[in-house]
Amino acid sequence: MENYTSRSIIMRTKEVGETDLLVTFLCPDKGRIKGIAKGARNSRKRFANCFDAFCLVDLQFSLKRSGDLYLLNSGRLINAFPGIRLDFTSLSYASYMIELTEILFPWGMGDRKIFELLRESLDALSRGERAEAIAVLFEVRAMTLGGYGINLERCCNCGRIYKGEGKAVFKRDRGGVACLKCQEETAVTPGISPQVVKMIQWMQTIPFRSLMKLELADKHIQEIRPVLKLHREYHLPKGPKTVCYLT
Amino acid sequence: MEIYPPPLERLIEQFSRLPGIGQKSATRLALFILKSHKELSQSLAASLIEVKEKIELCSTCFSLTDEDPCAICRNENRINGIICVVEGPGDQLAIEESGVFKGKYHVLHGVLAPLDGVGPEDLKIAELVARLDKENIEEVILATNPTAQGETTASFLVKILSGKGVKITRIALGIPMGGDLKYMDSMTLQYCLKTRSPVVP
Ligand SMILES: [Zn+2]
Ligand SMILES: [Zn+2]
Repeated sequence: MENYTSRSIIMRTKEVGETDLLVTFLCPDKGRIKGIAKGARNSRKRFANCFDAFCLVDLQFSLKRSGDLYLLNSGRLINAFPGIRLDFTSLSYASYMIELTEILFPWGMGDRKIFELLRESLDALSRGERAEAIAVLFEVRAMTLGGYGINLERCCNCGRIYKGEGKAVFKRDRGGVACLKCQEETAVTPGISPQVVKMIQWMQTIPFRSLMKLELADKHIQEIRPVLKLHREYHLPKGPKTVCYLT
Repeated sequence: MEIYPPPLERLIEQFSRLPGIGQKSATRLALFILKSHKELSQSLAASLIEVKEKIELCSTCFSLTDEDPCAICRNENRINGIICVVEGPGDQLAIEESGVFKGKYHVLHGVLAPLDGVGPEDLKIAELVARLDKENIEEVILATNPTAQGETTASFLVKILSGKGVKITRIALGIPMGGDLKYMDSMTLQYCLKTRSPVVP
């Protein structure tokens, strides 16, 4: 039986048996995996309150001989992101980020970057940063990491390089922007101002710590959100369901 | 592969649908039923049907009862004006068993959990608010669990209830009796120190 130790983010827990807990967690190397914590509900010693949703923990686990269910041996709480529990809005945004991660990254697909992004975003939420802004930053980057980055380099129709002169128009079926000569603005092909195009480019590429410091004004959020919605619904028609709790 | 005759397999399968019962326990229970007297099976089956037919929610506090209002809401010896808000019937039972609380209850039937599709409308929150005036409530004790969802639910209730002229209190969180500081998580310890209370000699 091979043993592992990994910093992890707890995504979901489910009570099973009389005292066990089935835990879904995200690791940088192994991705999203499932483990069973035997006796977790009455053993404070091995698992000192580390199985609460959204917590950052150090977990020790091993793989059973067969299957993909890990056996959780012990855990230590690193950060419970307490600010997330202070209101329903933060909890809803944290849940949304967890669900989007689940949809974009299948079971067992390790990706250090999505782990770091989620950790930084939960931390920012917990610190009381504006939830709407954090969610936008998270979503743009998570979609990019998941393979759905928005192509903002050139017009997806005529190929002309976008130089930031005038608005670009988002085209969901092309996953990119077109120039105003090729596509007019409509409800399903919204225009994006040059400043916001630049911002989305940054959100897709800059380091996570700088990403969380990017200041988004309300007007920028209002401009980006419809684009993200169209983009998300086109590629991920089934979800996330938690979107209904976002304000 | 099925190794038992189909009726027995079906019973095992039914048992294993219950929470906390795995395949092994389900098989043990089914074999026990098979070995025991027929009366046991009959009374068990009758009880299963009876709870589904007779148990309902108290229309005041939403705890489980076979008579509406429930025994606690009917009891004239309980203190009026204090409501203890709990997540579920199991939590209410735990507090009742401690024997220290003499007021009344309100069962939310869950906690706010967006990932599980549970929002404010899915809990008995509006019903709690409605009780404040009707029953002349002075204090609401928030006794949801100290989990992310339980804490968020408590915070949500604080927002909803504040300004309504009731005292809102939260059950204390901290080191359990017989606990050991060495095994406590950092968050609990931080909270314990922050909410320490003066000792009167
Ligand atoms: Zn063009
Ligand atoms: Zn009642």
